[in-house]
Amino acid sequence: MSYVEISGKQIEVDEDGFITDPELWNDDIVRAFAHLEGVDELTENHWKVINYLRDYWKKFGSAPITRKLCKETGFTLQQIYEMFPSGPAKGACKLAGLPKPTGCV
Amino acid sequence: MTVPLHMAKEEAVRALGLEVVPTDQRPEKLLARLAETVGSMRSLAVMLDTCTKCGNCMRQCHSYLGTGDYHNFPAARADLVRRLYRRHFTRSGRWLGRLVGAEDFDAQTIERWTTYFYQCNECRRCAVFCPFGIDTAEITIAARHMLTSIGVVPKFMQGVAANLRKTGNNMGIPKPALLDSVEFLQDELKEETGLEIAIPVDKPGSRILYVPSSADFFSNVDTMLGAAKLFHTLGADWTIPSGLLEAANFGLLFHWPAMREHNRRLAETAAALGAELVVQGECGHGWRAARLGSEGASGPVSFRLLHVLEYAAQNLDRLTLRRLPLRVALHEPCNYVRGGGILEPPRQILRAIVEELVELTPNGQESFCCGGGSGILMDEMMDIRLKLGRRKAEQVQALGRLDYLAAPCSICKAQLPHVMKHYGMGDLAIGGILDLLGKAIILNPGEIK
Repeated sequence: MSYVEISGKQIEVDEDGFITDPELWNDDIVRAFAHLEGVDELTENHWKVINYLRDYWKKFGSAPITRKLCKETGFTLQQIYEMFPSGPAKGACKLAGLPKPTGCV
Repeated sequence: MTVPLHMAKEEAVRALGLEVVPTDQRPEKLLARLAETVGSMRSLAVMLDTCTKCGNCMRQCHSYLGTGDYHNFPAARADLVRRLYRRHFTRSGRWLGRLVGAEDFDAQTIERWTTYFYQCNECRRCAVFCPFGIDTAEITIAARHMLTSIGVVPKFMQGVAANLRKTGNNMGIPKPALLDSVEFLQDELKEETGLEIAIPVDKPGSRILYVPSSADFFSNVDTMLGAAKLFHTLGADWTIPSGLLEAANFGLLFHWPAMREHNRRLAETAAALGAELVVQGECGHGWRAARLGSEGASGPVSFRLLHVLEYAAQNLDRLTLRRLPLRVALHEPCNYVRGGGILEPPRQILRAIVEELVELTPNGQESFCCGGGSGILMDEMMDIRLKLGRRKAEQVQALGRLDYLAAPCSICKAQLPHVMKHYGMGDLAIGGILDLLGKAIILNPGEIK
């Protein structure tokens, strides 16, 4: 495991840079990860996606179907890729503090 | 040497019920496993004995052609096992050592095995061209399973296996999330067709148990929607299982007991629901594991088994179809054409629903892997994955303008977009065959003049 320093605290991340304890998630982590993921500026739109993913994960214990994410937030998949260059799974989910979606994706 | 993979941590490996052998005991344990494996798998001993290094496989292996790495030449890859086998289990190797290609265990053996047996996609194309029929995929599978037995497991495989144990699917989708997703997909179907098309979950007494890939509930929703339209329009009595929402069977790829356990769960799920027919979704290696491993490796089963493309092809004349104005190429998953006997059904379906089906060269039993086969989908392997996909990219490029690349397997669907983008074909639409079938099926024939 490795650690990244965020706001003076050591936060444990896995090899892919996802936080290992989703409970530790906070706004500072989002800002730090945004920088690492090539997101220049966190806009209201970014937060809309992040908060949707976060709420869905808390309620259902997994990431939503990508199409549902698009529909519920009002963004196309292309717009999500423009906002999160690594995509909905590896980019947006990382910022939202979810575990990395794995399997055939 | 540095292994390009992220390996699973010891506690995570133990959590799967696997033994983690201490580093200093690994050579001894691995040799013991090799003795057991060769002793119980006669085919492996024959394949280790017969290679003459004729070089045929070198020209046919996309892994070697893409990476240019000597150890990815199938005969050289197999040699990583063969040297030890010769040294310890043959008389000539014991007496003559290196003269007959026998070598002792050394400090790099396990690193080499881990590196190169996870750069073989287990596509079996070398076996088609080997004059002796040596199937390096079988050697790769055996080597990966031996590595697993001493606790050497890639993090990606461990993560998938942990999700499967917890939720019954590789993505780790719990039942509440599945039910929410099903509701969303049913709403999508209603919005598109105006019809109530159900996706039944765990419906007791269903005649058909449909086992999709869990990725169909994340990124490949059109595949699931296509399956739902197909069953609906045929009036089928079907259901999906919340407890085993997974056609993929990664056990085949790194741990035989896990494969058998998965097949056992499939048989139990089908029996509990009373299903007489199990239809497997668009997944390559999972089809091979289910077809070749359900009966025999895991005992007798109470159901018939069909692949969804076989099921659709057998029912084509009962469907009212529109022809989609698309020029489509078919990428054939290795485990359909070389491991599962599915050659014609994808073509029968595509010929019925698209304007033009173009063939890749070579195709059928000689087709090239996407480069992600056998679960080589790890992010840290991306550079190597792109090299493994080079031959496929060149084949697709040679066809000129295409509207769609049909790739009816979740691994191929995950791998090919990266490959196509890297080789300058980022705009090419890639997806399943059910995705297209769903768009071609006319659900209200009466309304069409």
